[in-house]
Amino acid sequence: MKPDIDRFLDVAAAYLMMELAPTLGSSYAQSNVSILGMMLAAVREEFGRAAARRIEENREMRRLFGEAAPGVKDAALHHRLLDAAQSDDTDFTVSALEQSNAALRQTLIDLHTHVEQLDTPEARRIEEAIWRELAASTERRRLMMGPF
Amino acid sequence: MSSLESRLAAYIATKLPRASELQVHSLDRIFGGASRETYRFVLSYREGGEKLERRLILRRDPPGSLIETERVVEFGAYRAFYRTAVPVPEALWLEEESDWLDYPFFIMEELHGLESSPQLLLGPPYSDYAERLAEQKWTILGEISKADPVALGLEGVMEPVRPDQCWQRELAHWEKSIDEDELCPQPVIRAAIRWLRRHPPPPAQKISVVHADYRTGNFLYDTEGNIRAILDWEMAHLGDPLEDLAWGLNPVWRWAHDERAGGLARDEDAIRIWEKASGLRADPVALHWWKVFSSVKGQAIWVSSAKEFTDGKNQDLILALSGWLMQNSQDRAVLAELGHLS
Repeated sequence: MKPDIDRFLDVAAAYLMMELAPTLGSSYAQSNVSILGMMLAAVREEFGRAAARRIEENREMRRLFGEAAPGVKDAALHHRLLDAAQSDDTDFTVSALEQSNAALRQTLIDLHTHVEQLDTPEARRIEEAIWRELAASTERRRLMMGPF
Repeated sequence: MSSLESRLAAYIATKLPRASELQVHSLDRIFGGASRETYRFVLSYREGGEKLERRLILRRDPPGSLIETERVVEFGAYRAFYRTAVPVPEALWLEEESDWLDYPFFIMEELHGLESSPQLLLGPPYSDYAERLAEQKWTILGEISKADPVALGLEGVMEPVRPDQCWQRELAHWEKSIDEDELCPQPVIRAAIRWLRRHPPPPAQKISVVHADYRTGNFLYDTEGNIRAILDWEMAHLGDPLEDLAWGLNPVWRWAHDERAGGLARDEDAIRIWEKASGLRADPVALHWWKVFSSVKGQAIWVSSAKEFTDGKNQDLILALSGWLMQNSQDRAVLAELGHLS
Protein backbone atom coordinates (compact mmCIF):
# COMPACT_ATOMS: atom_id res chain seq x y z
CA MET A 1 0.00 0.00 0.00
CA LYS A 2 1.35 3.38 -1.01
CA PRO A 3 1.74 5.73 0.68
CA ASP A 4 3.05 3.46 3.40
CA ILE A 5 0.68 2.99 6.31
CA ASP A 6 3.24 4.14 8.87
CA ARG A 7 3.91 7.33 6.91
CA PHE A 8 0.19 8.08 6.71
CA LEU A 9 -0.31 7.40 10.42
CA ASP A 10 2.64 9.65 11.32
CA VAL A 11 1.11 12.51 9.36
CA ALA A 12 -2.41 11.88 10.66
CA ALA A 13 -1.27 11.72 14.30
CA ALA A 14 0.73 14.93 13.97
CA TYR A 15 -2.21 16.67 12.29
CA LEU A 16 -4.63 15.69 15.05
CA MET A 17 -2.34 16.61 17.92
CA MET A 18 -0.53 19.67 16.58
CA GLU A 19 -2.99 21.28 14.19
CA LEU A 20 -6.55 20.19 14.87
CA ALA A 21 -6.63 19.91 18.67
CA PRO A 22 -5.54 23.50 19.40
CA THR A 23 -8.33 24.88 17.19
CA LEU A 24 -11.13 23.21 19.13
CA GLY A 25 -13.08 25.32 21.59
CA SER A 26 -13.97 22.61 24.08
CA SER A 27 -11.20 21.32 26.30
CA TYR A 28 -12.87 17.91 26.34
CA ALA A 29 -12.85 17.76 22.53
CA GLN A 30 -9.21 18.89 22.53
CA SER A 31 -8.30 16.08 24.93
CA ASN A 32 -10.12 13.50 22.87
CA VAL A 33 -8.50 14.57 19.61
CA SER A 34 -5.09 14.45 21.29
CA ILE A 35 -5.90 10.93 22.52
CA LEU A 36 -6.84 9.93 18.98
CA GLY A 37 -3.50 11.26 17.78
CA MET A 38 -1.65 9.27 20.44
CA MET A 39 -3.56 6.16 19.51
CA LEU A 40 -2.68 6.56 15.84
CA ALA A 41 0.96 6.85 16.84
CA ALA A 42 0.61 3.60 18.82
CA VAL A 43 -1.16 1.92 15.88
CA ARG A 44 1.73 3.00 13.67
CA GLU A 45 4.20 1.29 16.02
CA GLU A 46 2.13 -1.87 16.29
CA PHE A 47 1.11 -2.18 12.64
CA GLY A 48 4.40 -3.33 11.21
CA ARG A 49 5.24 -5.81 13.93
CA ALA A 50 1.77 -7.13 14.82
CA ALA A 51 2.05 -10.52 13.15
CA ALA A 52 5.81 -10.91 13.61
CA ARG A 53 5.82 -10.46 17.37
CA ARG A 54 2.94 -12.89 17.84
CA ILE A 55 4.61 -15.51 15.66
CA GLU A 56 7.86 -15.11 17.58
CA GLU A 57 6.13 -15.21 20.95
CA ASN A 58 4.09 -18.30 20.05
CA ARG A 59 7.23 -20.03 18.80
CA GLU A 60 9.11 -19.22 22.03
CA MET A 61 6.30 -20.52 24.23
CA ARG A 62 6.03 -23.75 22.22
CA ARG A 63 9.79 -24.25 22.53
CA LEU A 64 9.59 -23.63 26.28
CA PHE A 65 6.73 -26.14 26.65
CA GLY A 66 8.66 -28.75 24.68
CA GLU A 67 11.67 -28.32 26.96
CA ALA A 68 9.59 -28.29 30.14
CA ALA A 69 7.28 -31.22 29.38
CA PRO A 70 9.72 -34.04 30.28
CA GLY A 71 10.14 -32.57 33.79
CA VAL A 72 6.40 -32.22 34.47
CA LYS A 73 4.97 -35.28 36.21
CA ASP A 74 1.36 -34.11 36.31
CA ALA A 75 -0.11 -36.20 33.49
CA ALA A 76 -2.77 -33.76 32.28
CA LEU A 77 -0.39 -30.81 32.20
CA HIS A 78 2.34 -32.95 30.64
CA HIS A 79 0.03 -33.83 27.72
CA ARG A 80 -1.16 -30.24 27.36
CA LEU A 81 2.44 -29.10 27.12
CA LEU A 82 3.27 -31.70 24.50
CA ASP A 83 0.17 -30.83 22.47
CA ALA A 84 0.95 -27.13 22.66
CA ALA A 85 4.60 -27.70 21.77
CA GLN A 86 3.59 -29.63 18.66
CA SER A 87 0.92 -27.16 17.55
CA ASP A 88 1.71 -24.58 14.90
CA ASP A 89 0.34 -21.39 13.41
CA THR A 90 -1.08 -21.82 9.94
CA ASP A 91 -3.29 -18.74 9.75
CA PHE A 92 -1.15 -15.62 9.94
CA THR A 93 -3.88 -13.05 10.33
CA VAL A 94 -3.39 -11.08 13.53
CA SER A 95 -6.73 -12.22 14.95
CA ALA A 96 -5.86 -15.92 14.45
CA LEU A 97 -2.37 -15.43 15.88
CA GLU A 98 -3.87 -13.58 18.83
CA GLN A 99 -6.20 -16.49 19.49
CA SER A 100 -3.41 -19.06 19.55
CA ASN A 101 -1.30 -16.65 21.62
CA ALA A 102 -4.04 -16.42 24.25
CA ALA A 103 -4.29 -20.22 24.49
CA LEU A 104 -0.51 -20.55 24.80
CA ARG A 105 -0.31 -17.83 27.43
CA GLN A 106 -2.97 -19.59 29.51
CA THR A 107 -0.88 -22.78 29.32
CA LEU A 108 2.15 -20.72 30.38
CA ILE A 109 0.23 -19.49 33.44
CA ASP A 110 -0.73 -23.05 34.35
CA LEU A 111 2.84 -24.30 33.91
CA HIS A 112 4.18 -21.41 35.98
CA THR A 113 1.69 -22.07 38.77
CA HIS A 114 2.58 -25.77 38.72
CA VAL A 115 6.36 -25.41 38.93
CA GLU A 116 6.14 -22.78 41.68
CA GLN A 117 4.72 -25.50 43.91
CA LEU A 118 7.59 -27.92 43.27
CA ASP A 119 10.83 -27.87 45.19
CA THR A 120 13.23 -29.33 42.66
CA PRO A 121 16.15 -27.92 40.65
CA GLU A 122 14.26 -28.82 37.46
CA ALA A 123 11.25 -26.77 38.61
CA ARG A 124 13.51 -23.80 39.35
CA ARG A 125 15.10 -24.14 35.91
CA ILE A 126 11.68 -24.09 34.23
CA GLU A 127 10.55 -21.20 36.42
CA GLU A 128 13.59 -19.16 35.43
CA ALA A 129 12.92 -19.91 31.77
CA ILE A 130 9.32 -18.72 32.21
CA TRP A 131 10.42 -15.45 33.80
CA ARG A 132 12.88 -14.91 30.94
CA GLU A 133 10.10 -15.42 28.42
CA LEU A 134 7.73 -13.12 30.33
CA ALA A 135 10.38 -10.40 30.31
CA ALA A 136 11.09 -10.99 26.61
CA SER A 137 7.39 -10.96 25.80
CA THR A 138 6.95 -7.66 27.62
CA GLU A 139 9.82 -6.17 25.63
CA ARG A 140 8.29 -7.41 22.35
CA ARG A 141 5.03 -5.67 23.21
CA ARG A 142 6.62 -2.44 24.40
CA LEU A 143 5.23 0.80 23.01
CA MET A 144 7.67 3.69 22.85
CA MET A 145 4.92 6.02 24.04
CA GLY A 146 4.33 3.93 27.15
CA PRO A 147 5.25 5.70 30.38
CA PHE A 148 7.66 2.96 31.53
CA MET B 1 -29.66 27.04 27.53
CA SER B 2 -28.92 23.37 27.05
CA SER B 3 -31.12 20.75 28.59
CA LEU B 4 -28.42 19.78 31.07
CA GLU B 5 -27.96 23.42 32.11
CA SER B 6 -31.66 23.92 32.76
CA ARG B 7 -32.01 20.66 34.65
CA LEU B 8 -28.96 21.50 36.72
CA ALA B 9 -30.42 24.93 37.51
CA ALA B 10 -33.71 23.31 38.57
CA TYR B 11 -31.85 20.99 40.92
CA ILE B 12 -29.69 23.72 42.47
CA ALA B 13 -32.77 25.88 43.01
CA THR B 14 -34.03 23.25 45.46
CA LYS B 15 -30.76 23.59 47.39
CA LEU B 16 -30.82 27.38 47.47
CA PRO B 17 -34.44 28.20 48.32
CA ARG B 18 -33.68 31.86 49.03
CA ALA B 19 -32.03 32.41 45.66
CA SER B 20 -33.78 34.12 42.78
CA GLU B 21 -32.88 34.62 39.10
CA LEU B 22 -30.85 31.43 39.36
CA GLN B 23 -29.06 30.48 36.17
CA VAL B 24 -26.55 27.87 35.08
CA HIS B 25 -24.40 28.84 32.11
CA SER B 26 -21.06 28.18 30.39
CA LEU B 27 -21.45 24.44 30.97
CA ASP B 28 -18.40 22.72 29.45
CA ARG B 29 -17.38 19.11 29.70
CA ILE B 30 -13.79 18.83 30.81
CA PHE B 31 -11.35 16.00 30.96
CA GLY B 32 -11.72 14.48 34.40
CA GLY B 33 -10.84 10.84 33.97
CA ALA B 34 -13.22 8.13 32.90
CA SER B 35 -14.83 7.17 36.17
CA ARG B 36 -17.20 10.18 36.16
CA GLU B 37 -18.31 12.70 33.57
CA THR B 38 -16.92 16.04 34.69
CA TYR B 39 -18.31 19.45 33.71
CA ARG B 40 -17.43 22.95 34.78
CA PHE B 41 -20.18 25.57 34.86
CA VAL B 42 -21.05 28.96 36.26
CA LEU B 43 -23.93 29.42 38.68
CA SER B 44 -25.35 32.91 38.99
CA TYR B 45 -28.17 33.98 41.26
CA ARG B 46 -29.43 36.80 43.40
CA GLU B 47 -29.72 36.46 47.18
CA GLY B 48 -30.44 39.15 49.78
CA GLY B 49 -30.33 41.79 47.07
CA GLU B 50 -26.85 40.74 46.07
CA LYS B 51 -25.88 39.24 42.69
CA LEU B 52 -23.68 36.21 43.21
CA GLU B 53 -21.68 34.02 40.88
CA ARG B 54 -19.89 30.76 41.59
CA ARG B 55 -17.75 28.51 39.41
CA LEU B 56 -18.70 24.92 40.09
CA ILE B 57 -17.92 21.37 39.00
CA LEU B 58 -20.47 18.66 38.25
CA ARG B 59 -19.28 15.06 38.64
CA ARG B 60 -21.89 12.74 37.15
CA ASP B 61 -21.84 8.95 36.96
CA PRO B 62 -21.44 7.73 33.38
CA PRO B 63 -23.39 4.75 31.98
CA GLY B 64 -20.28 2.62 32.57
CA SER B 65 -17.13 3.62 34.41
CA LEU B 66 -13.47 2.78 34.72
CA ILE B 67 -13.87 1.68 38.29
CA GLU B 68 -17.06 0.89 40.11
CA THR B 69 -16.68 3.68 42.57
CA GLU B 70 -18.84 4.86 45.36
CA ARG B 71 -19.75 8.49 44.96
CA VAL B 72 -20.75 8.67 48.63
CA VAL B 73 -17.17 7.84 49.54
CA GLU B 74 -15.71 10.42 47.17
CA PHE B 75 -18.09 13.11 48.37
CA GLY B 76 -17.48 12.11 51.99
CA ALA B 77 -13.71 12.34 51.58
CA TYR B 78 -13.94 15.85 50.11
CA ARG B 79 -16.17 16.89 53.00
CA ALA B 80 -13.95 15.29 55.62
CA PHE B 81 -10.73 16.95 54.49
CA TYR B 82 -12.18 20.37 53.66
CA ARG B 83 -10.32 23.09 55.57
CA THR B 84 -7.71 20.71 56.95
CA ALA B 85 -4.00 20.35 56.16
CA VAL B 86 -5.09 18.38 53.10
CA PRO B 87 -6.30 20.92 50.53
CA VAL B 88 -9.51 19.95 48.74
CA PRO B 89 -12.29 21.91 47.04
CA GLU B 90 -15.55 22.36 48.88
CA ALA B 91 -18.08 19.62 48.13
CA LEU B 92 -21.58 21.09 48.04
CA TRP B 93 -24.36 18.69 47.14
CA LEU B 94 -24.63 14.96 46.60
CA GLU B 95 -27.56 13.51 44.66
CA GLU B 96 -27.95 9.75 44.55
CA GLU B 97 -31.22 9.63 42.64
CA SER B 98 -31.20 9.55 38.85
CA ASP B 99 -34.32 11.71 38.40
CA TRP B 100 -32.55 15.04 38.06
CA LEU B 101 -29.72 14.39 35.61
CA ASP B 102 -30.31 10.76 34.50
CA TYR B 103 -27.49 9.48 36.70
CA PRO B 104 -26.36 10.20 40.27
CA PHE B 105 -23.95 13.12 40.67
CA PHE B 106 -22.39 15.59 43.03
CA ILE B 107 -21.45 19.23 42.76
CA MET B 108 -18.37 20.90 44.16
CA GLU B 109 -16.45 24.14 43.99
CA GLU B 110 -14.21 24.76 40.98
CA LEU B 111 -10.72 26.00 41.79
CA HIS B 112 -10.21 28.13 38.73
CA GLY B 113 -6.98 28.85 36.85
CA LEU B 114 -5.00 25.89 38.14
CA GLU B 115 -3.32 23.02 36.32
CA SER B 116 -3.30 19.28 36.87
CA SER B 117 -1.38 17.99 33.83
CA PRO B 118 1.71 15.90 34.68
CA GLN B 119 3.21 16.80 31.30
CA LEU B 120 3.06 20.56 31.96
CA LEU B 121 5.23 20.00 35.04
CA LEU B 122 8.07 18.88 32.81
CA GLY B 123 8.54 22.32 31.21
CA PRO B 124 9.01 25.88 32.41
CA PRO B 125 8.01 27.46 34.68
CA TYR B 126 6.86 24.37 36.55
CA SER B 127 9.99 22.26 36.03
CA ASP B 128 11.84 24.68 38.31
CA TYR B 129 9.43 23.80 41.11
CA ALA B 130 9.81 20.00 41.07
CA GLU B 131 11.52 19.87 44.47
CA ARG B 132 9.02 22.25 46.03
CA LEU B 133 6.07 20.33 44.60
CA ALA B 134 7.57 17.03 45.77
CA GLU B 135 7.93 18.36 49.31
CA GLN B 136 4.27 19.40 49.31
CA LYS B 137 3.00 16.31 47.53
CA TRP B 138 4.43 13.81 49.99
CA THR B 139 3.86 16.06 53.01
CA ILE B 140 0.18 16.20 52.14
CA LEU B 141 0.14 12.44 51.70
CA GLY B 142 1.75 12.20 55.13
CA GLU B 143 -1.12 14.31 56.50
CA ILE B 144 -3.66 11.97 54.90
CA SER B 145 -1.87 8.94 56.35
CA LYS B 146 -1.57 10.56 59.78
CA ALA B 147 -5.22 11.66 59.95
CA ASP B 148 -7.64 9.85 62.24
CA PRO B 149 -10.53 8.49 60.13
CA VAL B 150 -12.83 8.47 63.18
CA ALA B 151 -12.13 12.10 63.98
CA LEU B 152 -12.78 12.94 60.32
CA GLY B 153 -16.17 11.26 60.54
CA LEU B 154 -15.28 8.74 57.86
CA GLU B 155 -15.90 5.55 59.85
CA GLY B 156 -19.50 5.43 58.75
CA VAL B 157 -18.63 6.33 55.17
CA MET B 158 -15.81 3.88 54.52
CA GLU B 159 -15.86 0.18 55.26
CA PRO B 160 -13.84 -0.71 58.39
CA VAL B 161 -10.87 -3.06 58.11
CA ARG B 162 -8.48 -4.64 60.62
CA PRO B 163 -4.73 -3.92 60.28
CA ASP B 164 -3.98 -7.56 59.44
CA GLN B 165 -6.72 -7.69 56.79
CA CYS B 166 -5.84 -4.65 54.68
CA TRP B 167 -3.69 -6.49 52.17
CA GLN B 168 -6.06 -9.43 51.78
CA ARG B 169 -9.08 -7.25 51.16
CA GLU B 170 -7.35 -5.09 48.56
CA LEU B 171 -5.72 -8.01 46.78
CA ALA B 172 -8.98 -9.97 46.66
CA HIS B 173 -10.82 -6.93 45.32
CA TRP B 174 -8.45 -6.28 42.44
CA GLU B 175 -7.88 -9.93 41.61
CA LYS B 176 -11.63 -10.32 41.25
CA SER B 177 -11.66 -7.35 38.95
CA ILE B 178 -9.04 -9.01 36.72
CA ASP B 179 -10.93 -12.33 36.86
CA GLU B 180 -14.07 -10.62 35.64
CA ASP B 181 -12.65 -8.25 33.07
CA GLU B 182 -9.52 -9.68 31.45
CA LEU B 183 -9.89 -10.04 27.69
CA CYS B 184 -6.77 -12.17 27.37
CA PRO B 185 -4.56 -14.11 29.81
CA GLN B 186 -2.20 -11.99 31.95
CA PRO B 187 0.75 -14.24 32.87
CA VAL B 188 2.88 -11.49 34.42
CA ILE B 189 0.18 -10.14 36.68
CA ARG B 190 -1.04 -13.64 37.61
CA ALA B 191 2.51 -14.49 38.69
CA ALA B 192 2.62 -11.28 40.71
CA ILE B 193 -0.67 -12.15 42.44
CA ARG B 194 0.67 -15.56 43.43
CA TRP B 195 3.87 -13.93 44.71
CA LEU B 196 1.81 -11.50 46.82
CA ARG B 197 -0.11 -14.37 48.39
CA ARG B 198 3.08 -16.29 49.19
CA HIS B 199 4.71 -13.24 50.80
CA PRO B 200 2.06 -11.46 52.90
CA PRO B 201 3.14 -8.11 54.37
CA PRO B 202 3.12 -7.30 58.08
CA PRO B 203 -0.13 -5.83 59.45
CA ALA B 204 -0.69 -2.13 58.79
CA GLN B 205 0.98 0.04 61.45
CA LYS B 206 -2.26 2.01 61.60
CA ILE B 207 -5.56 2.21 59.77
CA SER B 208 -5.48 5.32 57.61
CA VAL B 209 -7.60 6.96 55.00
CA VAL B 210 -6.12 5.71 51.73
CA HIS B 211 -6.71 8.09 48.84
CA ALA B 212 -5.98 5.17 46.50
CA ASP B 213 -5.04 7.20 43.42
CA TYR B 214 -2.51 9.58 44.94
CA ARG B 215 -0.21 10.50 42.08
CA THR B 216 0.96 13.38 39.95
CA GLY B 217 -2.03 14.19 37.76
CA ASN B 218 -4.50 14.08 40.62
CA PHE B 219 -3.62 17.36 42.27
CA LEU B 220 -4.09 20.95 41.18
CA TYR B 221 -1.12 23.29 41.21
CA ASP B 222 -0.55 26.97 40.51
CA THR B 223 2.12 28.85 38.58
CA GLU B 224 4.16 29.44 41.75
CA GLY B 225 4.59 25.73 42.37
CA ASN B 226 1.97 25.34 45.11
CA ILE B 227 -0.35 22.36 45.36
CA ARG B 228 -3.80 23.82 45.83
CA ALA B 229 -6.05 20.76 45.90
CA ILE B 230 -6.02 16.98 45.98
CA LEU B 231 -8.62 15.52 43.62
CA ASP B 232 -10.08 12.16 42.55
CA TRP B 233 -10.96 10.52 45.83
CA GLU B 234 -13.28 8.04 44.16
CA MET B 235 -11.34 4.94 45.24
CA ALA B 236 -10.68 6.19 48.78
CA HIS B 237 -10.99 3.64 51.58
CA LEU B 238 -9.62 2.72 54.97
CA GLY B 239 -6.46 0.67 54.87
CA ASP B 240 -2.70 0.47 55.09
CA PRO B 241 -1.09 3.89 54.51
CA LEU B 242 1.74 2.20 52.61
CA GLU B 243 -0.75 1.45 49.84
CA ASP B 244 -0.85 5.16 48.95
CA LEU B 245 2.91 5.64 49.26
CA ALA B 246 3.63 2.65 47.01
CA TRP B 247 1.04 3.66 44.39
CA GLY B 248 2.66 7.06 43.86
CA LEU B 249 6.09 5.43 43.50
CA ASN B 250 4.94 3.08 40.73
CA PRO B 251 7.21 3.55 37.69
CA VAL B 252 4.22 4.05 35.37
CA TRP B 253 3.89 7.54 36.87
CA ARG B 254 7.48 8.52 36.03
CA TRP B 255 6.27 11.16 33.64
CA ALA B 256 9.74 12.60 33.04
CA HIS B 257 11.01 9.17 31.90
CA ASP B 258 13.74 9.32 34.53
CA GLU B 259 14.07 7.94 38.05
CA ARG B 260 11.81 10.51 39.68
CA ALA B 261 8.53 9.28 41.13
CA GLY B 262 5.66 11.21 39.59
CA GLY B 263 8.25 13.25 37.65
CA LEU B 264 9.15 15.04 40.88
CA ALA B 265 11.49 13.24 43.28
CA ARG B 266 13.53 10.08 43.71
CA ASP B 267 11.83 7.34 45.70
CA GLU B 268 14.09 7.75 48.73
CA ASP B 269 13.34 11.47 48.95
CA ALA B 270 9.59 10.91 48.60
CA ILE B 271 9.72 8.28 51.36
CA ARG B 272 11.75 10.55 53.64
CA ILE B 273 9.28 13.43 53.21
CA TRP B 274 6.30 11.13 53.81
CA GLU B 275 7.84 9.54 56.93
CA LYS B 276 8.60 12.96 58.40
CA ALA B 277 5.11 14.30 57.76
CA SER B 278 3.19 11.19 58.80
CA GLY B 279 5.29 10.09 61.75
CA LEU B 280 5.00 6.59 60.27
CA ARG B 281 7.68 4.26 58.95
CA ALA B 282 7.93 2.84 55.45
CA ASP B 283 9.20 -0.63 56.34
CA PRO B 284 11.14 -1.71 53.22
CA VAL B 285 9.72 -5.26 53.18
CA ALA B 286 6.15 -4.05 53.59
CA LEU B 287 6.66 -1.26 51.05
CA HIS B 288 8.04 -3.77 48.54
CA TRP B 289 4.85 -5.84 48.93
CA TRP B 290 2.68 -2.78 48.38
CA LYS B 291 4.75 -1.75 45.34
CA VAL B 292 4.15 -5.12 43.71
CA PHE B 293 0.50 -4.84 44.68
CA SER B 294 0.29 -1.39 43.11
CA SER B 295 1.07 -2.93 39.72
CA VAL B 296 -1.60 -5.58 40.19
CA LYS B 297 -4.10 -2.88 41.02
CA GLY B 298 -2.92 -0.75 38.12
CA GLN B 299 -3.22 -3.66 35.72
CA ALA B 300 -6.72 -4.39 37.03
CA ILE B 301 -7.70 -0.82 36.18
CA TRP B 302 -6.22 -1.00 32.66
CA VAL B 303 -7.77 -4.41 32.03
CA SER B 304 -11.16 -3.10 33.14
CA SER B 305 -10.83 0.00 31.02
CA ALA B 306 -10.15 -2.14 27.94
CA LYS B 307 -13.18 -4.29 28.80
CA GLU B 308 -15.47 -1.28 29.29
CA PHE B 309 -14.46 0.15 25.94
CA THR B 310 -14.70 -3.19 24.12
CA ASP B 311 -18.15 -3.94 25.57
CA GLY B 312 -19.34 -0.50 24.52
CA LYS B 313 -20.55 0.33 28.03
CA ASN B 314 -18.39 3.43 28.04
CA GLN B 315 -16.57 4.52 24.88
CA ASP B 316 -14.61 7.36 26.32
CA LEU B 317 -11.39 7.32 24.31
CA ILE B 318 -9.25 7.51 27.44
CA LEU B 319 -10.41 3.97 28.25
CA ALA B 320 -9.01 2.67 24.98
CA LEU B 321 -5.77 4.60 25.35
CA SER B 322 -5.18 3.53 28.95
CA GLY B 323 -6.13 -0.04 28.14
CA TRP B 324 -3.62 -0.07 25.32
CA LEU B 325 -0.77 2.04 26.51
CA MET B 326 -0.59 1.20 30.17
CA GLN B 327 -0.84 -2.59 30.26
CA ASN B 328 2.63 -3.15 28.86
CA SER B 329 4.17 -0.48 31.08
CA GLN B 330 2.44 -2.01 34.09
CA ASP B 331 3.84 -5.46 33.27
CA ARG B 332 7.30 -3.93 32.93
CA ALA B 333 6.85 -2.17 36.28
CA VAL B 334 6.01 -5.36 38.15
CA LEU B 335 8.78 -7.31 36.43
CA ALA B 336 11.22 -4.61 37.56
CA GLU B 337 9.91 -4.67 41.15
CA LEU B 338 10.24 -8.46 41.27
CA GLY B 339 13.76 -8.32 39.81
CA HIS B 340 12.94 -9.97 36.49
CA LEU B 341 13.42 -7.06 34.09
CA SER B 342 16.89 -7.11 32.61
